Amino acid sequence: MDWSFFAQLLLNGLVMGVIYALVAMGLSLIFGVLEIVNFAHGEFYMLASMLAYFLTAQWGFDYWATILVVTVVGVAVGYVLFEGLLLALRGETFERSILLTMGLSMVLQNGAVFLFTTNPHLLESKLSYQNIVVGDFRMPVARLYALGLGFAAFAVLYLILNHTRIGKAMRGVAQNRAAADMVGIDARAVSRLAVAIGIGLTGLAGAALAPVYAVHPLMGFNFVFKAFAIIIIGGLGNISGAAIAAVMLGVIESLAGGLLPLALTDAVAFLSMIAVLLLRPQGLFGRGVRV
Amino acid sequence: MTGRQLTLAVIAGLIALFALPLVIDNDYVMAVGISFAAMSVLAGGLNLIYGYTGLLSFAQVGFFGIGGYTATLLVVDRGWSLWAGVAVGGVLCIAVALLIGYSSLRLSRHAFAIVSLSFALLCAIVARDWPELTRGSMGIPGLPTPVMDLPGGLRWRIVDPSDFYYLLMGFAVIAHGAIYLVVTSRLGRAMRAIKLNEPLAQSQGVNPLSYRLLALSLSALLAGIVGGLFVFYLTIIDPSIFDFYYTETMLISVVIGGPGSFWGVMASSAVLAVLPDMLRFTTDLRMVLYGVALIVAMLIFPGGVGGWLYRRQVTRWRRPKPKAPVP
Repeated sequence: MDWSFFAQLLLNGLVMGVIYALVAMGLSLIFGVLEIVNFAHGEFYMLASMLAYFLTAQWGFDYWATILVVTVVGVAVGYVLFEGLLLALRGETFERSILLTMGLSMVLQNGAVFLFTTNPHLLESKLSYQNIVVGDFRMPVARLYALGLGFAAFAVLYLILNHTRIGKAMRGVAQNRAAADMVGIDARAVSRLAVAIGIGLTGLAGAALAPVYAVHPLMGFNFVFKAFAIIIIGGLGNISGAAIAAVMLGVIESLAGGLLPLALTDAVAFLSMIAVLLLRPQGLFGRGVRV
Repeated sequence: MTGRQLTLAVIAGLIALFALPLVIDNDYVMAVGISFAAMSVLAGGLNLIYGYTGLLSFAQVGFFGIGGYTATLLVVDRGWSLWAGVAVGGVLCIAVALLIGYSSLRLSRHAFAIVSLSFALLCAIVARDWPELTRGSMGIPGLPTPVMDLPGGLRWRIVDPSDFYYLLMGFAVIAHGAIYLVVTSRLGRAMRAIKLNEPLAQSQGVNPLSYRLLALSLSALLAGIVGGLFVFYLTIIDPSIFDFYYTETMLISVVIGGPGSFWGVMASSAVLAVLPDMLRFTTDLRMVLYGVALIVAMLIFPGGVGGWLYRRQVTRWRRPKPKAPVP
């Protein structure tokens, strides 16, 4: 295999992995802080892509304005989602949270199908046809931007979680809810921020990928299934674990896609998840858990 | 309702169900009945897992489809009889259920929910993208007519909707009977205990893992068999057998009927079998309505109708009895 094909696969995988990471980190953050699995996460990713499409194609926003608007809308939606729905779940919430957010996902997905039909929309902008070419090696600019945005988001999230008071409070709640309550951390404010950041990251991912792939109402569904596998592989509630697992999965899938039959490529995420559960149930990067 | 009344009601209901094709020989009514039989078995199995042992499972639809594909491939490619194919499909489902159940339940029930979901989605993707085995998204059309050898040398060719009605309704009765036996026995009590308080159940010597695997295997077996029978009624199988729509309908049945309520889930399955045609005027928005129903149920009455009835009954029991007048 010649090196440029390999490098191409590697870079595509890296881009995909970074986008997986944005979605999976949001999911993992929400799970870590609230013990809630947000089933509708993929639909928010889809809605973000849709919004990006309409902003760019219909209202003529440029790339950066679109990214900014969609991310801000994502954060706002996160606040509303928490205050409007998730706050009503108290106590033993895990299964109820899944069913509640699944209902939300059905409403959003089927509502989007009803309004926009399942026809894929291709977002065409100046960016779509720009490539960076080095020898045989072609890299669409849109993918490079997505990659850069992803790393920028990692950095910002890292700074928030490790170098701000509220970030520290968030990690505190994730580690031990009762103890966090005892030292006076406002669990509601922390949870609200976690959901807002989680949905904001997903919005960013959706907006960044909108110029790369076609946009349609069913796109979120297949995507979030990978994100679920990723948070298991990285360790439930472990945010940096999810990020690393996501990038690894993106690269492995991309390489497998170039070399293996299609059905196996899709199964990579699932098989890795089962292997991790059997061999290292706490996730690749988790602390030890009792099994 | 006392035990005696319940028995009489069940017998009357069964007679009515089996006399129905004799009274109304209408393909449409048969289709609704068949869909009720199939969906109620899936929902009953999910109720056993979620309602009794407290595990939210998305894997039911995966077993349904695996049962369907296994039976189809064994009959079409290998020339087996449907009954052997269905049996192998059911056993395969148990094996898969044990694999995903054992690997994820060692960690937590959270992991189980997520793994079961990934499993169901993976099934759909593999069915679509492995054309050498499954013929891909074109599916396998024109499944042959099943024939059952009855005692006394009779052969029952299962062709008409009413034949399939008897076949699937007959199996549904057996399946619900099995579920009922489990949930009303010592096993069912242990399962309820695990759901209510896992550490307490463990301290009493109940091993949650084995009871959960048992519930999971039984529901996988039933879902696999019903899948195998149902595709021969459809006469075609394609990857849409794994459609998430089935999962959503099953979950709505269980949640609205009341997790852990055998008759509640049965009743809501019946309503959901009839309802889609009443909602025909909003075909596009049906799933939106189901989603709204799910959200409302989760926010307002998570116990479903069964849970509500149970709470009412408990309140009545707890009400102090009127004191006898002091002479």
